Amino acid sequence: MWTDSPFTGLAGDVPLTRRQMLQRMSAGFGMLGLAGLLGPQAAGASTDDTRAPHLAPRAKRVIFLFLNGGPSHVDTFDPKPALKQYEGQQPTGELYKKSKGTGFMPSPLKFSKHGRSGIDVSESLPNLARVIDDCCIIRSMKTDVPNHEPALLQMHTGNVQPIRPAIGSWLLYGLGSENQNLPGYVVLRPSPKIVVGPALWSNSFLPAEFQATSVITSDMQVDKLLANIRNPNLTQEQQREQLDLLGKLNRLHLDRRNGDSELDGQIKAMETAFHMQRQAMQTFDISREPESVRAMYGDTTFARSCLLARRLVEDGVRFVTVYYTSDKNNQPWDTHSNHDESHLKLCADGDKAAAALIADLKARGMLEDTLVIFGGEFGRTPYAENREKAKAGRDHHHTAFSTLLAGGGVKGGTVYGASDELGMHAVENPVHVHDLHATILYLLGIDHERLTYRYAGRDFRLTDVHGRVVKDIMV
Amino acid sequence: MCIGRLNSLARFQANRWSQGIVLAALLCAGSLPASEVPKAEPESDINWAKEQQFWSFRAPAAQPLPAVKNKSWVRQPLDQFILARLEEKKLAPSAEADKRTLIRRIAYDLTGLPPTPEEVKAFLADHRADAYEQLVERLLASPRFGERLASVWLPLVRYAEDQAHQVGTDTKYFYPNAYRYREWVIDAFNRDLPYHQFIRLQLAADKIADASENDLAALGFIGLGPKYYSRGKLEVKADEWEDRVDTVTRSLLGLTVACARCHDHKFEPVTMHDYYALAGVFASTDMVNKTPGGAVEKEVAADKLPVTALHIVQDGAVTNLNIFIRGNVDRKGPEVEKRFLRILSNGEPKPFTDGSGRLELAEAIASETNPLTSRVIVNRLWGVFFGRPLVETPSNFGHSGLLPSHPQLLDDLAVRFVKNGWSIKTLAREMALSATYRQTSRVEARKAAADVENDLLGRMNRRRLSVEQWRDAVLYVAGDLEPEGGKSLELDDPQNHRRTVYARVSRLKLNDLLMQFDYPDANVHAEKRATTTTAMQKLFLLNSPFVIGEAKALAARLAEESSDSARVRRAYEWLFAREPDRTELKVALEFLRKPGAPEMSRWEQYAQMLLASNEMLYVD
Repeated sequence: MWTDSPFTGLAGDVPLTRRQMLQRMSAGFGMLGLAGLLGPQAAGASTDDTRAPHLAPRAKRVIFLFLNGGPSHVDTFDPKPALKQYEGQQPTGELYKKSKGTGFMPSPLKFSKHGRSGIDVSESLPNLARVIDDCCIIRSMKTDVPNHEPALLQMHTGNVQPIRPAIGSWLLYGLGSENQNLPGYVVLRPSPKIVVGPALWSNSFLPAEFQATSVITSDMQVDKLLANIRNPNLTQEQQREQLDLLGKLNRLHLDRRNGDSELDGQIKAMETAFHMQRQAMQTFDISREPESVRAMYGDTTFARSCLLARRLVEDGVRFVTVYYTSDKNNQPWDTHSNHDESHLKLCADGDKAAAALIADLKARGMLEDTLVIFGGEFGRTPYAENREKAKAGRDHHHTAFSTLLAGGGVKGGTVYGASDELGMHAVENPVHVHDLHATILYLLGIDHERLTYRYAGRDFRLTDVHGRVVKDIMV
Repeated sequence: MCIGRLNSLARFQANRWSQGIVLAALLCAGSLPASEVPKAEPESDINWAKEQQFWSFRAPAAQPLPAVKNKSWVRQPLDQFILARLEEKKLAPSAEADKRTLIRRIAYDLTGLPPTPEEVKAFLADHRADAYEQLVERLLASPRFGERLASVWLPLVRYAEDQAHQVGTDTKYFYPNAYRYREWVIDAFNRDLPYHQFIRLQLAADKIADASENDLAALGFIGLGPKYYSRGKLEVKADEWEDRVDTVTRSLLGLTVACARCHDHKFEPVTMHDYYALAGVFASTDMVNKTPGGAVEKEVAADKLPVTALHIVQDGAVTNLNIFIRGNVDRKGPEVEKRFLRILSNGEPKPFTDGSGRLELAEAIASETNPLTSRVIVNRLWGVFFGRPLVETPSNFGHSGLLPSHPQLLDDLAVRFVKNGWSIKTLAREMALSATYRQTSRVEARKAAADVENDLLGRMNRRRLSVEQWRDAVLYVAGDLEPEGGKSLELDDPQNHRRTVYARVSRLKLNDLLMQFDYPDANVHAEKRATTTTAMQKLFLLNSPFVIGEAKALAARLAEESSDSARVRRAYEWLFAREPDRTELKVALEFLRKPGAPEMSRWEQYAQMLLASNEMLYVD
């Protein structure tokens, strides 16, 4: 018998709302349902406070232009003239394995001041230089591990193991989607080949409604982009007729079951899917853009993906990641050899498209509430790596690198933080990946310490127990 | 949802370690810099005797059957507990579901498949008093039963055949023969291997003298675990140990022990000492690919591995771990001996002395005196049959979990489960045969108002099929399902007409169908499945080659019937175990009268909508 029952006396004395209950129940969130894909109605109907922003949001949506492999900071946004002076000398310090190369290697690129802000930008980025007054450069980024896999995972999920949700899923969980007829979190990549892979955009323990829709952008025909977006046998009219039949059958089924709201939700989702086909066929179709706009971005897979990203956020997608990869190279910015030449080629493509995106968003009045991020999982060593001296490369570098932010409430024309005179370590106002995450969430109106999900007996956060909001870069 | 079921943290305020909890909570929430946190209190400060009085840490006790008025309703002991609570609230149970609903429900629950029209017909014609009992016996004896329960079991142990990380095209950490573990699990459920044996073999078959050669495959429980990038490094090893501790403790014990990796548990009487004592077992265990002769294969590409190689474990260099202060591998605290959890031991637990200690760990978990093991599996099985487990945090029976809705019932089931030789089938039989299970799922307004979430089970819950049940059923009714198992096939393969449980599960890239329909991430233990409703799921129903292909197959199968109305009837029998009513028939015939599309006949279009319907996705 239950004598001194631990079960009695509890029922009345702990007044908890349904919301609190759900927050404390792992996997219980599924009950709220539909927030990610069914958008504002579902979001509005829910009383849960993770739906409404904690703070006044500056940004509503995010485009992350991800430079896989890690771009060199000393060749882009962080000029280090002292490298010339120390050229050929070996770096010291326990963090760095003995360089196989020829010691410190200055950038061959010329830096000059641009815009009213007069920020130094390398000549490899002439287009971004033109929009630099809309950008903030963080020169003091750092991450935990100088290897691609853990650094990629950390930049996407905050954790170095593949067991946590990506930032896009967190944001969808926190804010819901703005357009019920489109997925809320879209991943664009030119090639299926990408280091780490889908763990980078995993919803992990967050319910499936917060998962990313991954799109391979090598073929921009819409029905090649999105699986199951069009019926191969039926026209929309024929399918409408089919769905009318289904609607009748489902409603007969529902009527015999007292209007069970879950069954009703299924019926609504089916209608949403039907409309999503048409909406997606429009939104995902960049051929609808005028030639002049397409030319502004450039004619490469990355450029086309940037243009598609703009169309997506314009129509209400919350978070878009564009990866810079190709079939030939699953992390092109990883220039271990032949760095100088490769870097220029990569920049020519990336620079033009990224600058076009920023300018395009601005022209449409969307830059102020769209956050654009341009960067990789880490930077590259200020010293040479290699092999044949003539084709020197740069190795992975995680203790100082640069990330560009634009729009979304970020103060344009600013530089934040600094690395030491050789670009080795972030020395002034260091910004760890956790800090960047906390800042992105803040810009979207979310307190990173309050966006939690109860799982496995713990409240998990994107930033774990870390994270500092960098308010100095905000408008 | 009953508010009283939450183990409020408020309960803790009187507890001796409330202060520690608050501090730990602040630390975890990032509100306090680590330097300001006082050192963890010595663990001896936990009032173990008091903690052992917490409901889930006390041994479950056999319960007297509570008094009920409506005695004739009771069919199984569990019914009396359910009825007593209903009567307390002046509520009556619901009427028994009709026979068609019952056979469809029990067939999905015990085999994961719908009944055939012939089976439905035979059941309707069977007027013996024990017709339903006979049906349940037949389904329990079906080899489909093991497949169905394996679908429930495998995500608990994060079953998968590869890794989330792949360096280049390297497959040396993949598990091409993982299916051997799955087959072992299916077979174990089919032959009703006692659950304590089921656990012992999975953790330590290699150390159990009377285990058969075949039982070594059971070691895939740990042997198929995630291997992380740079796994030679100490900090990565520490991450892997966490996976093992987490999977074992949450799946088998319903306890969130891994939280104690960096600090004594915030909510539970689990210390860092406990954590590292368990992690030491896995630090002393190697994951190996081993052939029947006992040869350990070198780490080679998956396609170079002998087909007979099992992905299992063996004792490695036996070691004790030091506590890593705040989980930091560079900050070594005192060394701790391998042993079981203090809270689940009688006094100070004895150190493990047999190699890695896996067998001793298995014995401690599979012990009759372990208060959690039987409760946890009974609760999971309850969730399978009734749609909601009695403890709604089935992998968390601690302070931070929820309380059972029917504590006495849970205890009674757990005690009798052990007494009945840990027999899963006996337990399943009681649930299947109960009057509670046989109720209709129809909602009566008065009762619904008194018990909004159906906490008291005054009716059956309507349930959504899992992705495995749904896909299998689609193939089955279309006449395409192939019964073979064996080596995994990709779900994307259009030729793959096997049951979903036999599909390859990937940590690297979970199949889109599985991912979209709530199959959990295979990188970690899955406490339970979310049920989400998304437009992407519906796009799959509307446009995917799979659904269109099966719709065509279904239409072709129905074409054998003599008329449209006969075909519609046959379709309803197959899909929904019932006849269409007049309106449904009329709607169907109206639709079928019009001309089809060149590539999809009217019948094919109709068949697709039946497959996409809500009725196909739910059991009443």
